[in-house]
Amino acid sequence: MQSNHLLLTFCGVALKNPVIAASGTFGFGHEYTEIMDVSRLGAICGKGLTLSGSAGNRGMRIYETPSGMLNSIGLENPGVQHFVESEAAYMRTLGPAVIANLGGHCEEDYLEGARLLNAADIDILELNISCPNVKAGGMAFGMLPDTAADITRKVKAVSKHPVMVKLSPNAPDLVAVARACESAGADALSLVNTFLGMAIDVKKKRPVFENVYAGLSGPAILPIALRMVHQVAHAVSIPVVGMGGITSAEDALKFLMAGAVAVQVGTMTFANPKAMLEIIDGLAAYCEQEGLNNLQEIVGII
Amino acid sequence: MAIITSNQQIANGIWRMVVSGAPLGRAGQFFMLRVPGALDPLLGRPISICEVDAETGETTFVYQTVGRGTAQFARLLPRQEIDAQGAYGNGFTLQNGNAVIIGGGIGTAPMLQLAKELRASDPTRKIDMYLGFREEAYLDETFAQYADSVTLNIGGYIVSDVDFSLDATYYACGPTPMLRAAASAADVANASLFVSLEKHMACGVGACLGCTCQTEHGRKRVCKDGPVFDYREVRDAI
Repeated sequence: MQSNHLLLTFCGVALKNPVIAASGTFGFGHEYTEIMDVSRLGAICGKGLTLSGSAGNRGMRIYETPSGMLNSIGLENPGVQHFVESEAAYMRTLGPAVIANLGGHCEEDYLEGARLLNAADIDILELNISCPNVKAGGMAFGMLPDTAADITRKVKAVSKHPVMVKLSPNAPDLVAVARACESAGADALSLVNTFLGMAIDVKKKRPVFENVYAGLSGPAILPIALRMVHQVAHAVSIPVVGMGGITSAEDALKFLMAGAVAVQVGTMTFANPKAMLEIIDGLAAYCEQEGLNNLQEIVGII
Repeated sequence: MAIITSNQQIANGIWRMVVSGAPLGRAGQFFMLRVPGALDPLLGRPISICEVDAETGETTFVYQTVGRGTAQFARLLPRQEIDAQGAYGNGFTLQNGNAVIIGGGIGTAPMLQLAKELRASDPTRKIDMYLGFREEAYLDETFAQYADSVTLNIGGYIVSDVDFSLDATYYACGPTPMLRAAASAADVANASLFVSLEKHMACGVGACLGCTCQTEHGRKRVCKDGPVFDYREVRDAI
């Protein structure tokens, strides 16, 4: 069921609906085309890219926690050039809007990555300054307003694509980071990336992850993510995409009411590959029930 | 959604669940099994196919209760639903000629369907089974239906019972030390060996990259590109 009630324009791009596959949970779309109707999604954020690619982290990468999971993938990816040459055009054929997620280890990596992505047919660049799993990685840029604004301004200056900055919930003052990114020219914000967490193997008396810390996602983080989206959405005037533990249409509605114009779904797709389709159907049904002309009418009502 | 037709303990901490309504897979493939609607634990559990009955449409899983997810499975009752997504993974490719099958612990489970398929595809081939268990054997009597010989080893090292110099294809699934021992023996004997790997994974379809490993041909995903590999390709992972 597709519905005009769900249409929105986001960063100048028409989305069928506000449900977006979160980066790092959907590859570049190949895997899920075999098991679900990917074309129905609003957009797909591709796997986080780094300039030269990466084999990712060693050791344990996935550890389940109550109603959530810790991951320490470490941005395993084929690199920006491979994406530009081999994945972007494929993603375009899928139907949903195409978002490339770009991480980096240093300023020059980000800027060179953004320049290379100018050659790709994508709709939006999601600037990842929030991956907690790479040493000296993106999250370093997302912790403080000054560094976040600086990288945002510089990427904006070289990128021809709209730039959505993906924020870290681990920032000491997330609202200040959000405002700084807005001032630096960000076209939109997405939040939250994963929360820095930890797991210990008590039998082996050592951390589960080689990096010691890892990123927590899933329903366990939803109330905190929702509070953060609410705070940020009320502090900035650029559009905000909310995420963090969404499993159902009802969860998505919470983020929209809190001020997000769209949502990303990640971890739940691992548990139920069709979750996003069920959320889209649920949102359409909600519009019918509530007599809404467009779902955007409820954005930020709280 | 699949329906559970039976779910019974067959050994200490080892359960056998039969479901109907799951897509029919083949040996070496697995399903992500999940209690429908469960948010805690959230993720499915990758459980390999133990046996497929094409006539009844039933799929058998044999699983070990190792954590909260599998403990939940053990509490499920006949006629309840279970979310069975799959069949995922490449599965075993049946090679011509004789077969030697090595299973260790819960890694014996996928070898039953393998033996069955090998037998069905060539009734004249010789199939030798080697099954290793830490404390207690299970499934061994079922294996006898499809194999010419079944060698059990309880509490020891099953690989040391295997002659790797036969003119046969070797298939192994079990704990990493067992696979490593099999790989070493295959090296010495220049044997053809296929191993089924197990790793923590979130999605089972190749998206999360939780289960990737370094191979001769670059990084591969155990769930999607495997779980069955020529052992020479995944030396670094075992």
